[in-house]
Amino acid sequence: MKKGVLLFCFDTPDSQYHKILEKCVALIKKNLKLEVTVVTNFETYKHLKPLGFVNYKFIEPELGNKKNGLEWRNVDRHMAYELSPYDVTLVMDIDYFPFTDNLRQFLDTRYDFLISKNAYDMTNRNSFDTRRFSMIDMVWATVFVFRKGKKAKRVFDMIKYAKQYYTYFMDMYRVRDRRFRNDYAFAIALEQANGMIAYDTLPITLPTLPPDCKVLKMDDEGIAWQYNDQVNYTKDQDVHVLNKEVANV
Amino acid sequence: MDIGELKKQSDISYDIAVAKRNALEKAHARLVVVYNEHIFRADAETINLVKTLGEAHTSPLYVLDTNNNPVEISEPEEFLKTLVARNQEAISSYHQMSKTFAKRGD
Repeated sequence: MKKGVLLFCFDTPDSQYHKILEKCVALIKKNLKLEVTVVTNFETYKHLKPLGFVNYKFIEPELGNKKNGLEWRNVDRHMAYELSPYDVTLVMDIDYFPFTDNLRQFLDTRYDFLISKNAYDMTNRNSFDTRRFSMIDMVWATVFVFRKGKKAKRVFDMIKYAKQYYTYFMDMYRVRDRRFRNDYAFAIALEQANGMIAYDTLPITLPTLPPDCKVLKMDDEGIAWQYNDQVNYTKDQDVHVLNKEVANV
Repeated sequence: MDIGELKKQSDISYDIAVAKRNALEKAHARLVVVYNEHIFRADAETINLVKTLGEAHTSPLYVLDTNNNPVEISEPEEFLKTLVARNQEAISSYHQMSKTFAKRGD
């Protein structure tokens, strides 16, 4: 059974995501020791330094989504099922840095689709624990695992449907955030595909550095960041970095 | 205590609290273990359950994974060994880290 990691990476006029990808791929190779496939476009690919053995799939990203007024090329994740060359696939955001091998084991389960509902703020401010207005739990599409088969295909078909009628579903589930977010598209699809009841999840809480944290240093063991005038660090712990300036560290 | 010293102590307390939270979350993440294609937490509850069932019941054992799916455990001793090894790896790492908190708080 073929197992591997699928990553999506598209530079924008404002962010050099390819530099983040380079850091992420190095950590995947060191810690997860899995084959990697990168979904990208030629514009991004031509800036990449040699990354060793990596598969590339070229697509043109769907444009139009924005975050804080800036272009946000995040809309193509619904195609992970078709684009993955693996039987079991780990899909990760490229700004999720695997400093451990913790995720590796989730490719060895019998589950068809696993995703996490929880993240925590590494600065201890609980900034992701805000009041919930929506009628469904949000999931974090930052990290998920799927096994190709009828069940996973149904989930991805439903994600496509949720994407197509995104505004309708946002209203129906009272989601206030109007941008397209994979987190909500996936949450809606899983809710719908599972008969509006609970579904299987990854029992992990994603360690996340909020966007107002500046990454000062990053090596192959860990990361140091600054929040206000405080500097903290962690090592041997996976980290999801939301500040895209990590590209330049 | 002057205000500068107070600020310094407050900053140190914050740093320790952040480091402790992250070390604890790191340990929790490491406690998650896949066995027999199912996901478990190698925490005190699971270890105690498997040890107790192993002593009081003949194998195979049946336990629930983290998604409440039943799993047949045909080799409880091997499973217990896996759980204990992962538990001690995670908690000893947390213990090492906690020594640095104590140092910084002195």
